[in-house]
Amino acid sequence: MRRFFAPLLALGLAVAGNARAEDTLSPLHFQSDGPLGSIDKAAAQRGFLVYQTVCAACHSANALHYRDLEALGLTPDQMAGVAAGVKLADGSAATLDSPFKDPAMPASAFGGALPPDLSSIAAQRPGGAQYIYALLTGYATAPDGVTMLPGHFYNKAFPGEQVAMPPVLRDNAVTYADGTAATQSQEAADVAEFLTWAADPNLSTRHQIGLRAVIFFAFLGIVAVISKRRIWREGR
Amino acid sequence: MAETAATEAFGQGTESRRGFLTILTGAASAVAAGAVLWPLVDALNPDAQSESRARMVVNVADIAENTAKTVQWNGLPIYIRKLTAQQIAAAQAVVTDTLPDPADFTARVNAAYQNYVVVVGLNTGITCALEGNDPSDPRGDYDGWLCPCDGSQYDALGRVRSGPATKNLAIPRFTFINAAQIRLG
Amino acid sequence: MTTETKQIPCLGALCACLCAPVHKPEGKYLDTLPGLTAILLAFLTLSGLVLAVYYDPWHAFASVGFIGHEVNNGWLVQAYHATGATALFGLVYLYLFRAMLTRGYRAPGELVWGLGVKLMAVLLLVGWLGFVLTGGAAAYWSLFKASNGALALSGAAGAIGGWFFGGPAGSGTLARLELFHAVLAVGAMAVLWLLFAARRAVVPRAEPGQGVAFFPYYLAQYLVALAVFALIFSVLAFFTPHLGQPAVNALPADPLTLPLGTVLPWYLLPLAGIAQALPGIWGGILGVVGALAVLAALPWLDRSGPAGAKGGLYCVFTWVLAADVIGLGITAAARNYPQASLLLVLFTFWYFFHFLVLTPFVTAIEAK
Repeated sequence: MRRFFAPLLALGLAVAGNARAEDTLSPLHFQSDGPLGSIDKAAAQRGFLVYQTVCAACHSANALHYRDLEALGLTPDQMAGVAAGVKLADGSAATLDSPFKDPAMPASAFGGALPPDLSSIAAQRPGGAQYIYALLTGYATAPDGVTMLPGHFYNKAFPGEQVAMPPVLRDNAVTYADGTAATQSQEAADVAEFLTWAADPNLSTRHQIGLRAVIFFAFLGIVAVISKRRIWREGR
Repeated sequence: MAETAATEAFGQGTESRRGFLTILTGAASAVAAGAVLWPLVDALNPDAQSESRARMVVNVADIAENTAKTVQWNGLPIYIRKLTAQQIAAAQAVVTDTLPDPADFTARVNAAYQNYVVVVGLNTGITCALEGNDPSDPRGDYDGWLCPCDGSQYDALGRVRSGPATKNLAIPRFTFINAAQIRLG
Repeated sequence: MTTETKQIPCLGALCACLCAPVHKPEGKYLDTLPGLTAILLAFLTLSGLVLAVYYDPWHAFASVGFIGHEVNNGWLVQAYHATGATALFGLVYLYLFRAMLTRGYRAPGELVWGLGVKLMAVLLLVGWLGFVLTGGAAAYWSLFKASNGALALSGAAGAIGGWFFGGPAGSGTLARLELFHAVLAVGAMAVLWLLFAARRAVVPRAEPGQGVAFFPYYLAQYLVALAVFALIFSVLAFFTPHLGQPAVNALPADPLTLPLGTVLPWYLLPLAGIAQALPGIWGGILGVVGALAVLAALPWLDRSGPAGAKGGLYCVFTWVLAADVIGLGITAAARNYPQASLLLVLFTFWYFFHFLVLTPFVTAIEAK
């Protein structure tokens, strides 16, 4: 079926082809937002780079495979290169068919707060991409009067405002191939878009087919009403 | 006269318009039903994981000479063996007509990568996994594979040489992507 | 009738049935609700069969993820099935509410009404089982509470619970619940078939010479209803595929961490609210059984008689009941708010008060 929808997706690729990211940070918005939103493939590719360089050190995403990156516009060679660069727990290199690497570290390595699997984090957390962005950019020094738990960091976006995850994103944590400036907020926004795709890889297709289905059934409804009225009027 | 003609024409107009509407409604409904049900049919096609596994990529660069690597593919043990120069020369020297199942060197290896033999590692007599992948394994008299179940012997190209088996080892469908990788299927 | 249809007896009978001008010519669009329910049940069965091909109760959450990510159009089949459940309860609730408003449950429609309530009861169980099969955090939480509650019972009830769940909630539990989900879905179709048979017996037929045939008149009407239904279904399936389901169900079940926000899907919430309002396990069970029982007993609680007037006051109270049921659902979803438990008791009280006190009195007064 992916083949079936390939022409639809090609349309998206052509739009995503522009090299440099437009400013989505002020005000913050995501191309995947809204009922007709679609995944911004360029942003999601950059987000994957952030995920792979930063997040994957502690988090797993076991619903994703390296071959799935084809949907973000990576060529088979690029995907194979990504997979070949990943060393699995048994020492062998990952293949296209491997799930994203699980760091497989015990909870004790994180003071008991095991980093969650990121496959569908955008679907689980209220706010989705907006929340992920707010969390990743929400670190601050704790205000007076807040007693911090040991090993926790003040984050105004996290429920309870104390999170065990350290602030990991900083300016130029990665270097983007498309020339986009890798500011901390750009990285956060890109990884949020990537995780939105991870949680709902069919978002763009779903919205495209949905729009067509609604238009078609509205047309069918109108034709059926006219047809029914005629049949009933002439029957009397 | 003109009036009746006009009425008739008008009557035919409504008639054909109703017919058109009925056909349009019916056709659009049929299209809708087909489009709604098609995903249910398509969902039973091979899924992405099966398709990916059916077209498995194997790295052959890490195989040492005179040893073979085993990979599981479509439920079959696939043996990929890297030949030594002597084995290639010995295999080419065999007179194929004397073999139980005659097959010459070019029929058993890829022309561009002559030092790799890719076979299904199951005895062709009674089904049984063959021994001989590692140089220290028992390989029989022909420096190939030996069946531990019925004693059939194969040479390094997987041609049957003796024993109850009468057929050469099967060769799976595969292509060389480059010198380091082959794709099965 | 052509020669072919005469030679094939079933087809001939079907044609005769479809073309017989016996239906009243003033059909309402909402009369298609049971027909739409039947079509939707068939659709849910088809999509459920496809899901069952890939679903693995021993690795439920992983296999649900696999269907969404790896199977061709698997995400769409899942959206069909989940939105189908939402739409099914929408149709059944609408059907029952309409029968209450039009008071179609009165003689000779008592049997049809009773079967409608039974259909809803079976579907509620099927819906809960389907929700539990997802293996998400909210699903596990619900299964955990239900199975532990059932096993804690003594006597026959505990034995039945033990038979149904086969011990405390574990991965093997879902294997049997998958079977119950499918078997009870077939049961729901049987109940719906009985409902159709009972309905055919009581629906008034047209006077000779006045009636219209199903084909083409009611077929055209069904097509309109189906197109509108498909339009609403598309909006739900493509733009809100997880409508009315807790977001935390996207987390895998973990017995050691139960996240906040583990609520049931929307269609179970009103009944869950009644179950929560009453104390203890037996309170919950009696609340659910009682709520369905008083609903089924409505034809006898209504004292206005078969030919009684449709009173305006009782109609208002029926709308109030609808608001009460919606209130129950909303409160059950927000059960962590401090006022929730008090509100649940109030809404539950009103539900039973409506059926057991208001209904007999108001209908009896209005019938005079």
